[in-house]
Amino acid sequence: MSVPINIRDLAPGTSVMLVDGAEAEIVTNPGDGVWLFARYLSSPRDPTLIGQEEMIFAQDIVGLGRATAEPAIVGTRPKTQ
Amino acid sequence: MAMNGRRGYSSSLVDLRVGEVSREIFVNEGIYAEEQERIFARAWLHVGHESQIPKPGDYFVSSMGEESVILCRDRTNRIHVFLNSCRHRGMKVCRYDEGSTTVFTCPYHGWSYGTDGRLVGVPYFREAYHSRLDKAKWGLVEVAQLANYKGSIWATWDPAAPPFTEYLGGFTRYLDLQLDGWDGREGQAEVLGGVQKWLVPCNWKFPAENFSGDTYHNISHRSVDLAGIGPSGAGRRDMGERDASRKLHVCIPDRGHQTIHYILPAGTAPPPAYLNAPVVAEYFRHCEEERRRLRGEEARLVGAPGEIFPNTALLSRQPRTMAVWHPRGPHQTECWRWFFVDREAPTEVRQFLRDYYIRYSGPAGMTEQDDMENWNYAHAASRGTIARRYPYNYDQGSGTAVSNYEYQGLSVPGEVIDLTEAQSSEQPMRNFYRRWAEFMEADDWSQLATWRSAERKAAE
Repeated sequence: MSVPINIRDLAPGTSVMLVDGAEAEIVTNPGDGVWLFARYLSSPRDPTLIGQEEMIFAQDIVGLGRATAEPAIVGTRPKTQ
Repeated sequence: MAMNGRRGYSSSLVDLRVGEVSREIFVNEGIYAEEQERIFARAWLHVGHESQIPKPGDYFVSSMGEESVILCRDRTNRIHVFLNSCRHRGMKVCRYDEGSTTVFTCPYHGWSYGTDGRLVGVPYFREAYHSRLDKAKWGLVEVAQLANYKGSIWATWDPAAPPFTEYLGGFTRYLDLQLDGWDGREGQAEVLGGVQKWLVPCNWKFPAENFSGDTYHNISHRSVDLAGIGPSGAGRRDMGERDASRKLHVCIPDRGHQTIHYILPAGTAPPPAYLNAPVVAEYFRHCEEERRRLRGEEARLVGAPGEIFPNTALLSRQPRTMAVWHPRGPHQTECWRWFFVDREAPTEVRQFLRDYYIRYSGPAGMTEQDDMENWNYAHAASRGTIARRYPYNYDQGSGTAVSNYEYQGLSVPGEVIDLTEAQSSEQPMRNFYRRWAEFMEADDWSQLATWRSAERKAAE
């Protein structure tokens, strides 16, 4: 089992590898630790997905993409009272 | 619990012919459960203010009755109110008090919703649901109707409820005093600081009836008056404009809204106020002058505590605040208090008002502490088997209200009692409980919108 990535720390522009072998580049990170908005760079299972933007589930992410060296820190978190 | 009539609320538990209200309506768990369905699922309820969510993606978690709701602004700037509960297994999809986001994600299984309420993310949608789940059907539950009235956000779960301004009836005049600028311009209010939230061990109707216009309990605040927390260093507020005015109880009989209200004599400017800070005093003097210029005779109206049925309290001057009494079981109320200031008010005015407001209201406010103590112990002393046998008395001033009240050319619609000499009446509480009983008796809004049948008859 691969070491889970804290997806809250991934910045837009970072690419991630998915469980089905696809690679996607993060467009927006809502910071909820569950989802990323990402655009498919490759998809061996379904090539029609390439270029499309989808919500990617955290548990489908198995690692950083080939284009990414280090994850960048992102965004502000919601404030509490 | 003895009941008569069709459902037993009118004329038995609430017997206004003799000015009596049963303690059961405050402490009985069955009645409390019925209130959630018959009142809080049907009435218009205050949710928040648009200044709390200025940008797309901003949200504020509020409450409608017992339900947690999300007030939010979507990407297209449209304001929504959603039930804060995932459609999959009911988990709260937002557990922060306020913030900004692109999605509301359920932490349980990961269903995710856009700020427009659409279901946008379902884990294993292709694999486990085989892409067959109809996402359009499973968005967040949205209120049936939402109204943005001069920046204040109101909502109802009932699609048959009348539009908000019709629900208010003639009470818009008093809500306007809360939301319009001190200088008379429309809708200038914005929320100052955070919302104060605290629990009081009493039924929600204790604060609701108190803010309906209880002028009889001033003795409770004697110590605050002696301490002199007011903005001019005496009493708990500046009394000059009140002392110069006619003092009224105003009730909108078919709506259940009511308020204390003051009217200055014609041609009279309010006496100086906020004398502990010259800059603040000058600001309000200028605003009052502008208000008279813009509003004319209407500027003689001076707001005071009031209640929009069922659970929203107003206080448009000293301190300028709104409160909602959220029911949390028959024996507990969660009080939320918003404070307001005009959006263009200078920093020094804001700081002065903030200090005064929290000195007066909220859980640490000296005046509200007096009130909470009364509600707390009155409720506790009404729960026992013996105590429940004895109704409360609401007979003060029965039969003395007039309609078509007028003072020096300014007319006041509704049922009015002039308190300038009488000092006090319980007409507002009778008005509140009459409407409460109507809600508890009526099957739907065709019975609750009593004014519509009167208007139809008048037209025939």
